[in-house]
Amino acid sequence: MPKKLLIVDDSPVSRAIIKKCLPKDHPFELFEAGDGKEGLEKFKEIRPDGTLLDLTMPVMDGFEALEEMKKVDSNAVIIVLTADIQQKAYEKVMALGAGMVIPKPPSAEALADGLSKMGLL
Amino acid sequence: MKNSEVDTIFSKEDAAILEEVMNIAFGKASSDLARVIDIQIMLNAPQVEILKTEELMRWIKQDTESYKTLSMIEQNFWGKYAGTAILAFPSAASKKLISLFEDEDEPFEADNPLLERETLLEVGNILIGACVSKVAELLDDDQVSFSPPRLIPQVVVDNLSGANISPKFDDPDKMAILMKTIFHLQEKDVKGFLFMIASDDSMKWLKTALQNFMAKF
Repeated sequence: MPKKLLIVDDSPVSRAIIKKCLPKDHPFELFEAGDGKEGLEKFKEIRPDGTLLDLTMPVMDGFEALEEMKKVDSNAVIIVLTADIQQKAYEKVMALGAGMVIPKPPSAEALADGLSKMGLL
Repeated sequence: MKNSEVDTIFSKEDAAILEEVMNIAFGKASSDLARVIDIQIMLNAPQVEILKTEELMRWIKQDTESYKTLSMIEQNFWGKYAGTAILAFPSAASKKLISLFEDEDEPFEADNPLLERETLLEVGNILIGACVSKVAELLDDDQVSFSPPRLIPQVVVDNLSGANISPKFDDPDKMAILMKTIFHLQEKDVKGFLFMIASDDSMKWLKTALQNFMAKF
């Protein structure tokens, strides 16, 4: 059964880039959300095996969404995908329970490597 | 370039790609800046609007209407990607910004208008330079040149118009792409607005560069 992967990003372009970069030989059941609040709702509903989470989003940003998702499931596998790789932002998301941070725009190799390290491949 | 031409040239899809390019570029710029000034910069999701230049100030006014006066730093840039960037801070922010460059052992004197002016120009120069350069670099590895930053102090938001910023924003026939983001310098509790206005001369290049960007994936 394919693993459930939730992509939370306000940009449809970014979601399209992420989908293009996913390993072709490893199908996922994909779910998408356009902001942190919608992402949190979908997270509760589908309980994904993995979540790819942007940080800079309207309505609810990725920091808050990450915190709330971890309250729902402390073992959730959440990979933060962001161009904002400031040390303090990195430390904050890791403290909130992110599994890893992948810089945007992701390459297919970086995404496959990240998914593999998080046990999603 | 007239309205209908821009609609044909620059589609909604192009605008969505540009928003994502800005998101990536500003994120990278803020992480570079955080290393220099050692504070976290939080950015709102960027927005892109295609509009007549004469409408620009109305848009900027809409975003900043909760403030009485603004300090604005304007800088022109040119390369394949060309235009004008405007950084706007609430006027009261300049005193807080000074502390970014202060040495703990040798604090600056409390009331120093010249220092406030120089600080605003320097912060403007750093933020505009980082954000514009990253957009140009991401799109086409383009190198842009900058005019020296110009400070427009104490702009009364209610009276904001192209005339008191630059005559080029008053041309009813010209179109512009307005890119905007709001950023917070968290530890200093300072909020600012960054507007980048691409010149109509660079729109065709911008469209091609955006399509090339997407083709990489």
